[in-house]
Amino acid sequence: MDDHVDNTNDIDDIAVLRARDFWAALVLIVVSAFFLWRTSYIPLFGDNRAGVSSASWYSSAAIVPLGVFSALLILSIFLLVTAIRAGGAKTALTAVGIGWNRVEAIRFATIGIIIGFYIVGLVPRVDFILCSGLLITALIYGFHTGNPRRMITSAIAMFIPALYALAMHLPQSEWAAPHDDDWLTLVLWIILSGIAWRGPRDAVARAIPVIAIMAPFILVCAMAFGFRQNVPNRSGLIFSQIEYQYYVNIRPIWRD
Amino acid sequence: MEFVLTQLSGFGGAFLDLSSDPVTYIYLISSVFLGIAFGALPGLTATLAITILTGFFGNKIPLDYSMIALLGAYVGAIYGGSYPTILLNIPGTAASAATAMDGYPLAKRGRGGEALGLTTTASLIGTLIGTVALLIFVWVLLLVSKNIASPEKALLALFGILLSGTLMSEDLVIKGWIAGLIGLAMAMVGLDPLLSEPRYTFGWSYLLSGFQVVPVLMGAFAVPQIIEGLRTMEIGKMLQLEGRILPNLKTIRRHMPTIARSGIIGTSVGALPGVGEDVAGWVSYGVGKSVSPDGKNFGKGSIDGLLCSETANNACIGGALIPLLVLGIPGSPPAAALMGAFTINNIIPGPTIDPDIILRVVAIMVMASFTMAIMGLFTARVFIKILRIPQTVFLPIVMVLTTIGSFSVGGGINDLYLMLGVGFVAYFMNMLRYPIAPLVIGVILGGLFDETFRRSLLISEGDLGVFISRPGATVLLVMIVALVLSQLPLFRHLFARIRKKAV
Repeated sequence: MDDHVDNTNDIDDIAVLRARDFWAALVLIVVSAFFLWRTSYIPLFGDNRAGVSSASWYSSAAIVPLGVFSALLILSIFLLVTAIRAGGAKTALTAVGIGWNRVEAIRFATIGIIIGFYIVGLVPRVDFILCSGLLITALIYGFHTGNPRRMITSAIAMFIPALYALAMHLPQSEWAAPHDDDWLTLVLWIILSGIAWRGPRDAVARAIPVIAIMAPFILVCAMAFGFRQNVPNRSGLIFSQIEYQYYVNIRPIWRD
Repeated sequence: MEFVLTQLSGFGGAFLDLSSDPVTYIYLISSVFLGIAFGALPGLTATLAITILTGFFGNKIPLDYSMIALLGAYVGAIYGGSYPTILLNIPGTAASAATAMDGYPLAKRGRGGEALGLTTTASLIGTLIGTVALLIFVWVLLLVSKNIASPEKALLALFGILLSGTLMSEDLVIKGWIAGLIGLAMAMVGLDPLLSEPRYTFGWSYLLSGFQVVPVLMGAFAVPQIIEGLRTMEIGKMLQLEGRILPNLKTIRRHMPTIARSGIIGTSVGALPGVGEDVAGWVSYGVGKSVSPDGKNFGKGSIDGLLCSETANNACIGGALIPLLVLGIPGSPPAAALMGAFTINNIIPGPTIDPDIILRVVAIMVMASFTMAIMGLFTARVFIKILRIPQTVFLPIVMVLTTIGSFSVGGGINDLYLMLGVGFVAYFMNMLRYPIAPLVIGVILGGLFDETFRRSLLISEGDLGVFISRPGATVLLVMIVALVLSQLPLFRHLFARIRKKAV
């Protein structure tokens, strides 16, 4: 009896995996069928291709994609059959089959909101130091203790300025100025830092403001002035001032 | 003999050139330090270290310094994984997983210092064995690869994608192949390489140039790790580092046969396209268990067991660079990230690569391995302090690093959208146990496969026989067919029956 190994968790994991495989296979079948249809837009037989008149199938730009998406479709069908045989279809619609876990769903959704709105809403429109500082504060405060309420608070703190920036300055022509979205981001950052400061003041809580200010500041300065590379939103509230001071007051010190 | 002397003098020249430049040491020390820190922090990997540094150093500094930064981080990160493995029983990187079997029991017995010292020495010797193999075999293979034409190149790319998909799948092999095909499909986006026909661009001009390598690398390797790592993790009690770290020469000499064997195994495994340091560590550990006189003590705190995995995972680096430099097919996931860095520097690894670059890579590897050993032996306590930083603190910084690195490579904000999209897809793929490395290898090799496959057909005027018209192509085609057939249930049953009969 001592040799008995409890495989219940492994079996449950496989059941969840096969149920997910069932859904994944369906998605893959739809995607590969869609792209196979899109491949039909690329001339295959005897058309004029990019100004080159050639009637041979083997010079077509559609040949390789056709093979790739056909292979993907076939493998997806294999995966679907495997999942169905392993009982994935039966459990596909149950909570066990989907592997639903409320806390994990909140964790993933809030990270998705924070990272998604950071990249799509804030980085193009708001000063990089400000939005990255808010991001670092939100991620450390929200996820260090694993408390779902903190995760939601962090997501809201990121969502508000990002939504504002998207709503008020959607077109690229408005990304540079004015700085109302920069100010709103700064306010939300200060509020979230204040909330984090009110909690238990352990080493991590004390480190949050320092990391949130120093990390993006050093990175953006190293990239812009060290490597002389493009950085997001050069006309942002803080970076525009740094750039001005660098070129007007600091750089002349060694240039002269 | 003349060949060896030419090689050595070429290597000596490159080594002297690099070592006489003071700036080399700035990049070398900082990148090896960063690499060890990345490897030591559970949740960060060697692939991630190279990916992030690619965003920073990829094409912004002279090529030599860029290679020093990336190779230094690679060597450092593979070694750095041994710290948490030995002291916390948590592998810092997948490459160190086998090290935990004996490293942690040794530390529990108060021999943590000795284990770290021996690990450092084994990693140094392992890296040097891999580097020597790289210096020798890369040239032999380069001579052979001069005869490689489009059919062989196309089949090699396909073989690399399929092999990595087969060997990296944790669940069903079919998932590895699907991941590779998704990567290939992503490489089809943009203007086609022969006729400039737009494919799957949906009217978006950004997509005309195809998916850029760096955002794909960042999305595939960094974003899923950030999403997955942002959770409370109770780090177990760290064992005190007891005993001296500097290894005893007598002990090293006694274990030299194990180190040499593991170095050869690690290099050989690394040379297989798409197979990483983790596999090298486990294979060497498995072989060691069956051939070592101390085999029965493996898993209970055996020095031999520790050296088996640690030598092999570092030797794998040199091995993984062989197919990368000679054939343009990465030998491991970090090598795939390295290939991305080469690509954005307009270096196309493969038969046409500048031989001088190979000599410089070898010289950098030697310098990086000695830097790693010196840092490991004399500054181990600094890295042990780094181990205490929770991943919920450093992963947000990694997110900012990833964003600015991806943005500055050239594509601007669109590259960030691409990184985000690839990142979420890769996260779900991870969740469904699809390996991510074949996807990246597919994206990198997709263009090569597309171009060389169609060029072969153009030359042969559509005759598919071109893929069996040359000996090299025939061998590769047979290998691909055998690889696919070996995974089909019908053939697996057949093989099993034949094996049973033979027994």
